Amino acid sequence: MSKTGPKHSGYRRLAMYWVDHLRQLFSSLGELWRTPLSSLMTIAVLGVSLALPASFYVLLKNAESVSQHWQSKAQISLYLQQGVTEQQLAGLKQGLSEMDELETVTYISPEQGLNEFREAAGFAQALSLLADNPLPAVFILNLSATGRQPQAAEALLQQLQAQPLVAEARLDMAWLARLSSIVELLRQVVVGLAVLLLVGVLLVVSNTLRLNILNSRREIEIMKLVGATDGFIQRPFLYVGLWYGIIGSMLAWWLTLVMVFWLSHKVSVLAALYNSDFRLFGLDWSESLLLLLTGTLLSLLASGFAVRRHIRAIEPG
Amino acid sequence: MIRFEQVSKVYSGGFQALQKVDFHLGKGEMAYLTGHSGAGKSTLLKLISVMERPSDGRVFFNNQDVSRIRRSQIPFVRRRIGMIFQDYHLISTRSVFDNVALPLVIDGYRHQDIRRRVSAALDKVGLHGKDRYFPPMLSGGEQQRVGIARAIVNKPSLLLADEPTGNLDTELSMEILRLFESFNRVGVSVLIATHDTGLIDSSRYRTLTLHAGRMLTGEAR
Repeated sequence: MSKTGPKHSGYRRLAMYWVDHLRQLFSSLGELWRTPLSSLMTIAVLGVSLALPASFYVLLKNAESVSQHWQSKAQISLYLQQGVTEQQLAGLKQGLSEMDELETVTYISPEQGLNEFREAAGFAQALSLLADNPLPAVFILNLSATGRQPQAAEALLQQLQAQPLVAEARLDMAWLARLSSIVELLRQVVVGLAVLLLVGVLLVVSNTLRLNILNSRREIEIMKLVGATDGFIQRPFLYVGLWYGIIGSMLAWWLTLVMVFWLSHKVSVLAALYNSDFRLFGLDWSESLLLLLTGTLLSLLASGFAVRRHIRAIEPG
Repeated sequence: MIRFEQVSKVYSGGFQALQKVDFHLGKGEMAYLTGHSGAGKSTLLKLISVMERPSDGRVFFNNQDVSRIRRSQIPFVRRRIGMIFQDYHLISTRSVFDNVALPLVIDGYRHQDIRRRVSAALDKVGLHGKDRYFPPMLSGGEQQRVGIARAIVNKPSLLLADEPTGNLDTELSMEILRLFESFNRVGVSVLIATHDTGLIDSSRYRTLTLHAGRMLTGEAR
């Protein structure tokens, strides 16, 4: 700040400085009302532009949690050779249960398998025609968190395949890989869209401020004539930009909330059809704060650019 | 107070507004600057308030070469000059009080000081009690006096007036002139650009005459 009137003590001046800023901050709220339509439009555009990436983010977050949920059900079925002895079986089971990549190891004997098959499929009649049990003994292996990574699971599969007693090891990786690449793609789309929309926010805010500045052109000229620095003239416009950011991102937060609320009912109906108690997660506190900060800072940044450039360009004369 | 040394100004279109102008305005001196329209009066004033830069030569204000100062220094020069314009240059959406207070707000004065000084300035120009009006509600003479109050409110050492009576009748012009004289009596330097010859004939101050960008006379009467 420039040299101030004569009789100020240090503390008082500092206090005055902040009081002054605070007063300007709130009086600039009144500035918004001077051009209500353009302020409202700008805030609305800001709100929508920020609500879209926020909503996409919420969808992505939920998609990720769903895909994680499914991945936790990742299993390897280990089909054994015919004629494995009890002893070999016990040794294999011991070896498997010591592996880090596996969470649980369940043995299904050929007889059990046949019984399950008979009950599940209603093939009792047909199966009774068979002379002996054609089913192999099977180990159902549930993968642990470390084994669930696509690469780790693939390596584990190779390793199990190489075991002498194993006829075949089968991991249905294809759909897991597909799912995770879909989620990954979704993430890229969200990032791309978010970048575009945030650039839109920058442009909208800076354009609105440009118009505000041009509308007060005469006022700015007069202020420059009586010795106002660019910084002094910039301040109220920056505050307006700050308010656009704050109100716009609050609107975005609210829109996202409404969206999640609106969808969560449909989602829980859908989840019920799949026998799942899945629920849609909204934005949590830190994410909401991030949204608010991002909106506010972006708007402030855009106003900073616009204000600096356009106020400098106005010269009396 | 003001010293021009061989100052020339050529506008970008090639128009030569001033040619090798030399003159000096002493501290506490009051003078008129006259000439036909387009003679360079406004340009000369704009060089002092750094609204324009000279193409050649040097312009001193308070012994400071303002023709070469940095852009960021310009506001601080202007704070020491009170400027008055033909079309008043008031902010019509702000009250008389706010208009007059503007230079003080810009300079970071305290609230109480601002209140005191603004009402003193309004008193001086005879607009006591009109501080809540808005400029469009006032007559031309009153608006010009608001402009003058704003020019003197932070006690500048120099007043520059560009056709201050251009839109006013003779009687009002004389009133405005007497105001300038009263400021001059308390030590403020005053430079008034005008083509209102009636105004000049009736006064006893030095007259600087510009003709086609050249200074014709510079001596005291």
